[in-house]
Amino acid sequence: MPKVISIHSYRGGTGKSNFTANIAATIALQGKRVGVVDTDVPSPGIHNLFCLEPEQTTHTLNSYLWGEISIEEAAYDVSRNIGLSDDAGGRLYLVPSSVKADSIARILRDGYDVRLMNDGFRKLVKSLQLDYLFIDTHPGLSKETFLSIAISHVLILILRPDKQDYQGTAVTMDVAKQLKVRKLLLAINKVYGQLNPDALKQKVEETYGEKVAGVFPLSEEVVQLASEGVFCVRYPEHPISQTFRQVAAQIDQG
Amino acid sequence: MSEAGADREKLDQTPNQAADQAADQSSGGDLQSLASSITAMASPFRNYLNDLHEKYRSVDEGTVADYIPELAEANPGWFGICVVTTDGQLFDVGDCDQLFTIQSMSKALTYGMALEDHGREYVNSKVSNEPTGEAFNSIVLDEETNRPYNPMVNAGAIATTDLIKGKDGTARLKRMLSMFERYTGRSHDICMPVFLSEKSSGFRNRAIAYLMLNFGMVSDRIDETLDLYFQQCSILVNAKDIAMISATLANGGVNPATQVRALDEHYVQDVISVMLSCGMYDASGDWAYRVGIPAKSGVGGGILATVPGKLGIGTFSPPLDVKGNSVRGIKVCEDLSKDFGLHLFNVASPEHNLQDWLSGNTDIDHW
Ligand SMILES: Nc1ncnc2c1ncn2[C@@H]1O[C@H](COP(=O)(O)OP(=O)(O)O)[C@@H](O)[C@H]1O
Ligand SMILES: [Mg+2]
Repeated sequence: MPKVISIHSYRGGTGKSNFTANIAATIALQGKRVGVVDTDVPSPGIHNLFCLEPEQTTHTLNSYLWGEISIEEAAYDVSRNIGLSDDAGGRLYLVPSSVKADSIARILRDGYDVRLMNDGFRKLVKSLQLDYLFIDTHPGLSKETFLSIAISHVLILILRPDKQDYQGTAVTMDVAKQLKVRKLLLAINKVYGQLNPDALKQKVEETYGEKVAGVFPLSEEVVQLASEGVFCVRYPEHPISQTFRQVAAQIDQG
Repeated sequence: MSEAGADREKLDQTPNQAADQAADQSSGGDLQSLASSITAMASPFRNYLNDLHEKYRSVDEGTVADYIPELAEANPGWFGICVVTTDGQLFDVGDCDQLFTIQSMSKALTYGMALEDHGREYVNSKVSNEPTGEAFNSIVLDEETNRPYNPMVNAGAIATTDLIKGKDGTARLKRMLSMFERYTGRSHDICMPVFLSEKSSGFRNRAIAYLMLNFGMVSDRIDETLDLYFQQCSILVNAKDIAMISATLANGGVNPATQVRALDEHYVQDVISVMLSCGMYDASGDWAYRVGIPAKSGVGGGILATVPGKLGIGTFSPPLDVKGNSVRGIKVCEDLSKDFGLHLFNVASPEHNLQDWLSGNTDIDHW
């Protein structure tokens, strides 16, 4: 049975897109068929990590939401960009959001029927025969966020060790409970050197009563890559990449 | 204390307090209502309806009613499915905001109002409850009692409309419109072109009315009553309204969204039972046997189907079969009945459990 996983955080810049790209690539490299949808319509970005240039993407999530195309037409096969050969079992598809100012303005002004998101995701899973669908989201709470939480099998909340993130995560978890989320995992990102990761993990787990799937350090190497590639693909043996593999395993547990 | 220790200290405080503060501020009602509307959007049941819509969208059987030009203008591709549960959850897919004329579906509601106005005994003395094998517009009355056969054929519906109380045509129309509003939760307009067209070409209905006047089955305010009858048929609704009407009947006469009573609880059974026996024109017997959901169709392309205690279905798709029922609407009702065991007399366990699919809290493989 296919799994839908939403990656969310209360605030921006937490590392959602970076996390989504890495976890999706990790799983695709394990031989699975994986889709990623960039639902961060107001501030899209994940296409950069998969080296998909805006000039190449004439079809986007926006055009689907306006009823111009079917969602499959906006799905780009980026398998090669993460080093997957054509005969490998694994596949990675990305449905990007438009980066054109006009398109963003139009969707912010006119809105769209959020139910189309739900319908589109299902269509995508079916027609591309996906094993996993990852939804990269816009930060904060909105109808779109609510919907992506409601339809997900797993919700992954990213937080940094920061008071604003702690508060926001608590609010989001309230919402997630109302929406009867089936499985929730936390990931702590940008943990600076002085903090003890194990102690932090334990503390956060106690506070929220939910599992922390991975603790990621604030990493200069991630910064240096500057969103021009997927970290796990570039440095497969790095401890960060290992942590992503551990997170991937936990998505399937239980 | 070492630096790391101090940090540890800070950490002991921060996530806890921050999380508590946030939790204190979370409010109940608004979040709950938004959450429930979102859950409905993402529920497996809505996905099921979506698949049903997809499955029957391409069906191109049937013909759009064209006895008046206004109906012939309908787009045969329009297709909406809406389901409202008795606890007020609404699921809609396709063209559920497209307005169309209610036509014969109004007959069920007018019948309910006539019962409220006069009581069962009197209404029964004017209109019988026998299904006819005749077409909906046939000019036949029961030979012994001179009553029209049932309130769902034109003759019976005109006799029923005659019973609506009010000092003049306007007052009667106002009462009728406010009844519709109680059922749907919103006010309705009348499609003037359809009304005028029906009125100017409705010779057959006029003939039926005069025949009944001849037998003393209707009062002599024939023109006023016929106007009212054509007006009630020309009320503009969409598939959501139809589903809401159905759900109101399913919910014992109380609109599940507004909690307003639309029909006296004593007469809910009258309305639903004539829908079951006579609602689908001369396909009613077969419908009751196969689908088993009390329903009423209209030539505008709507079908109103009521599953008592559970839900109301409203479908809209203009192409009709030879008996005058919406082709796609029939298929939708058939599938819903079969897959969720909605036939009134079904006791076998259905393929899908309705409650599970509505709430979505089981792991249904709807992906
Ligand atoms: N663990 C990390 N260490 C250092 N920089 C990171 C880390 N995770 C993400 N970043 C950087 O932070 C910035 C924001 O990340 P991004 O994934 O775009 O966040 P979001 O999608 O939540 O807005 C990017 O420049 C990214 O490279
Ligand atoms: Mg992002």
